[in-house]
Amino acid sequence: MRVLFRVILQLLLWAALPAGVAGQTICPTWPAPGSPVLNPLDLYSQNGTLSVNLTLQNQKEDDGYMHYCYVYIYQGQAIEAPTLRLNPGDQLILNLTDNIQAPYYRDPDPASRKHSVPMQHMHAAATTQHALKLDDPCNGTMIEPSSTNMHFHGLNISPTCHQDDVINTIIQSGDPAFQYNIQVPPNDAPGMYWYHPHPHGYTTTQVNGGASGAIIIEGNLQGTQGLPERVMVIRQIFQNPDSWLPGPNELTVNFQPATYPLAPSPVVNVQYGQAEFWRVVNASTQAFLTLQIQFGSTPQQLQVLALDGVPLQSPVYQTKIDLPPAGRAEFIMPGLPAGQTGTFMTLGYDSGPVGNPNPPQELASIVGSSGKKAPPPAQAAGRQPTRPARFSGLAALTPTTTRSLYFSEQTIGSNGPTQYFITVNGQKPKVFHMDDPPAIVTNIGAVEDWTVENRAGEAHAFHIHQLHFLLMAINGVPVPNPELLDTITIPTWSGSGPYPSVTLRMDFRDPNIAGTFVYHCHILDHEDGGMMAKILVNPAN
Amino acid sequence: MRFAWRLLLTAALLAAPGWGATGKNKSKAPAGLIYVLANDDNGSLQSTVSVYQASDTQQGPTLVFEKSIDISGRGIGGGFFGTSRITMLPDASAQCLYASNASTGDIAAINLQSQQLAGNTSGYRRDKGNTNGIGLVMNGQYLYAGYTASNTIGVFAVQPGCQLSFIDDVSVSGLSGGWIGGMALHGNLLVVAYGDGSIQSFNIANGLPVSNNDEQNSAGFASAYFPESVDITQDGHFAIFGDAAIATTVEVSDLSSGKLAPTVQYSLGLPTNAVGPGLNSSTVRLSPDQTLLYIGNSQSGNVTAAFFDKSTGKVTPGCATAKLNGFYNPWSYIGGVVTRDATGTGGVVYAAEFGSSLAVLTVTSNGTSCSLTESAASPVGDDLSPGLLSIQVFPPRPF
Repeated sequence: MRVLFRVILQLLLWAALPAGVAGQTICPTWPAPGSPVLNPLDLYSQNGTLSVNLTLQNQKEDDGYMHYCYVYIYQGQAIEAPTLRLNPGDQLILNLTDNIQAPYYRDPDPASRKHSVPMQHMHAAATTQHALKLDDPCNGTMIEPSSTNMHFHGLNISPTCHQDDVINTIIQSGDPAFQYNIQVPPNDAPGMYWYHPHPHGYTTTQVNGGASGAIIIEGNLQGTQGLPERVMVIRQIFQNPDSWLPGPNELTVNFQPATYPLAPSPVVNVQYGQAEFWRVVNASTQAFLTLQIQFGSTPQQLQVLALDGVPLQSPVYQTKIDLPPAGRAEFIMPGLPAGQTGTFMTLGYDSGPVGNPNPPQELASIVGSSGKKAPPPAQAAGRQPTRPARFSGLAALTPTTTRSLYFSEQTIGSNGPTQYFITVNGQKPKVFHMDDPPAIVTNIGAVEDWTVENRAGEAHAFHIHQLHFLLMAINGVPVPNPELLDTITIPTWSGSGPYPSVTLRMDFRDPNIAGTFVYHCHILDHEDGGMMAKILVNPAN
Repeated sequence: MRFAWRLLLTAALLAAPGWGATGKNKSKAPAGLIYVLANDDNGSLQSTVSVYQASDTQQGPTLVFEKSIDISGRGIGGGFFGTSRITMLPDASAQCLYASNASTGDIAAINLQSQQLAGNTSGYRRDKGNTNGIGLVMNGQYLYAGYTASNTIGVFAVQPGCQLSFIDDVSVSGLSGGWIGGMALHGNLLVVAYGDGSIQSFNIANGLPVSNNDEQNSAGFASAYFPESVDITQDGHFAIFGDAAIATTVEVSDLSSGKLAPTVQYSLGLPTNAVGPGLNSSTVRLSPDQTLLYIGNSQSGNVTAAFFDKSTGKVTPGCATAKLNGFYNPWSYIGGVVTRDATGTGGVVYAAEFGSSLAVLTVTSNGTSCSLTESAASPVGDDLSPGLLSIQVFPPRPF
C-alpha cells in the first residue's frame, strides 16, 4: 500500500517521457502468455574469462508499463538478460552501458513542480538535480532516474569500484560503457547468483522493469549430472499502474506473465518420467514466494540441493520452499508420471497486516510428453575449488562481537509515505542517505553474531552485500544445521510479544571484502525508501 | 435532585418547537442522543457514513450501530492518518455533516436530522485526493477541503439545507514539496501540516486562504519528526501538532501573533531506540475542557492522554492505554480520536481503527494523574469500512 506515493512519482516521471520513446522497439518483446518456458541465453566463460557487453535501456510499453532491459546483442539479435556462467576463479568483464531515457523535471514553473514532486526528502535519493555528465562513475555524486549501476547479488567479492560497489559507483545515461572486472573467488561454491541494478532510490523501478539476470557458478551439485537443467528467473512487474494498490502480484517466469487465470500459464514442457534440475531465483521486487510443484493435486517432494548459491550440507526433501525476494533455490524435480500434468506455483505468503499481499499464484503448468525436447543437461563437474570453501568452519568459531539490529517503520498514512529503518540497537532510527557514515565499523578477521529483529507489521528480507551469513538461530532457538544464505525473511511482528528475530553469523575474515558496503531489506521499495545502512570493514592491521 | 431538575429543563428546551431553528441550517436536535459518525471510506463500492449511537454511561460504554448513509461516491480505504475525512458544522443545533469521497473527488453533505444525503459537491477537476484522502475542516461559513493528490485547498460556502457551493481553490505545498496533511482552523486562521515536516498558516477572513508567510519547518523536522495532525485551543492561542515520530511526540506553536511561532517539541515517552507503545503521534484532539490532549499512536496501537496547560501551552506526560484489542489482527493502525461528551475531559474517547472497527475508552483524570481504559465492549465493528481512519461525534466539541 505504501508504495503508492513512489508509484505516483514514477507515473509522473513516465508521463513526462520524451515523445518518441513510447512505441519504439528498444527492449526485446516478451513471450506471449501460454508459451513454453525457455532458459535464458547462456553465456559461458572461455579460457577463464567471460566478456559481456550489456546495455540497460528502457521502453514505455503500450500499456504504460516501463520496461527496463539488459540487452545483449547475439548474432545480430537483441537478447534480454542472458545468464552469465562462470567457473570458480574465472574473470568476468562486463561492460555496462547506461542508455536509460528517463525524463527529468524540467518544469519551468518551480511552484508547479513543487506540487507534483511529493516528499522529495523522504525519498532520500529522489533528487531532481542533474548530474554533471563528466562525473567520475567511481565517485558518483548524483543519482537520477536515468542513473544505474550493477550489484552481483551473492558473490563474495570486493566492494570497490569496477567490482561490486553500489555506494560510489553511479553510471549516468550517455556515459561511455562502464567496465566491471570481477574475479569469482576460486573457493566459491557452485550455485546460482544474480545481477541487478542498485541505484539507491531507483532500484525498484529498474528491477520492476525487468532489469535482472542469473549468474551460475559452475560446478557439480550432487545428483544433477545429466539432468535437464532449467533456469527460471521469477520477476515481478506492475504492468497496470493500479496494481500498485493492494491486489495480486504480477509475476513473470522468464519474462512470461504468470497471471493465470487471467491469462494462460507459462508452459514447462518435460519428458514423462524425467527428473529435472531446476534453478530458481526470486528476482521480484517484493514478493515472498512459497514454491511448490504439484503433480495432479499432489505436492511433490523436491530435493533441495542449494540455497542462495551455496550447496546445503546435505540435500533435504521438502514439498515447499520459502524464497524471500532475492533468494535462490536449486532443487531436483521428480519425473512427471506419464499421463499426468503438473503445476509450478507459489502458495502465497502472509507478509503481515501492513505488508503487501502475496497471494497464491500458478507460475507455470508442467506438461509432459514422451518426445519433448528437454533443456540441455546440467554440466558435469566444472573446475573444482582449489582452496577450502569460503566460510568453512564458521559454525564452530567463537564470535568476536555480537550486535543487535532491528527493522522498523514509521508511516504518515496507510497508503504512505513510510519511513523505513534498519537500526543498530542504541542508535536512532533514520532513513538512509547515501552520504551517511557507516552504522557499523568492524575489521577484517572479525566473526560477528548479529541478531536482527523485525519490529514492524510486515515481513522484511535481510540482505548483506559481499558475504553470506550462517543462520544460527531463529527467535533465539538454535538452528540444528546452520546453512549459508545471503537473504533471509524475518517474519511479521504480531503486535505483541517478542519481536521475531534471526541470529546470523557474519564472516569478515576474507580480506577481499575490506571496504564500505551495505545491508538492507530486499523488498526493494523499502530499500529505496531508506531501510538500508552502511558497514565499514577496515583492513586487517 | 438538582440533577433531575436540570434534566427536566434540558428536555423541555430540546422539545420546544423551533429549538435551534434560528439559523439557516438549524433544526431540531436529537434529544440527548450522542452519535458517532464514521466515514467508511470505501473505495470499492459506494461509500457510506456509518452512524452509531453512543451509550451515555461511564461504566462499560459502548456504541450501537444504527444505520449507514449512502454518500454517493467512493473513498480510498486509507491515506494520511492526520487528514480527517469527516467534519460537521461547529454548532450542535446545525446538523450538517460532511464526508469526503477521495476516489470520486467530491464532498457529501448529510442532514443529520433526517440522516439523509443532502448532496455532493466537487471542486475543480484538478482538485484530487485520490492518493491519501481529502481532509475537511470548517467554520460556520466555509468548509475547507485539503486535496492530498493535487495539493490544493478547496473552499466551499455552506448553503441552506447543508448544501455546499464551491468557491475556488488555492495551491499549497510544504517547504520540501510535501503534501497537505492535517488541518485545523480558528477564527480567521487556518493551520496546515504538510507531510514533509513543514507547517503553515493562512488568513481566511475573506474565505479563501491567504498565506500568512509563516511557512516553516517544525522543530521536529531536524530529527525527521513530521507533524501530521493539528488541533487549536478554544481561544486560538496555541496550535498543537501530533508528530510522526518514534516516540510519543507533539509540538506546540504560539498563535497569539496571528501567525505560527516556531514550535516547541514535547517528547512524552520512550527512549528513542524503542519501538513499541507510543510509536507515531499521528492524531491529536484536545478534550473539551482542554486539560487533556488525546493522541492516537497510529503505529503502536494505543491511545495516549497528555496533560495540557492551556495558558502556557505546555504538554506533560499523562497516561496511555495498553495495546488496544485487535491490534494487528484484525486492524493495524489507530486513526482519528474524538470524545463522547462535549464537556470536561470528554468522558469517553473513541478511536478509529484502520481495519474495520472503533475503540471505546473510558477516561478518568484528577488533573495530575489519569487513566485510559478500553471498554469491555471494544472494539465495535464497522463492517462497511475497509480502512477506517476518520470519525466525528455529534453533538460536536464546542470549538
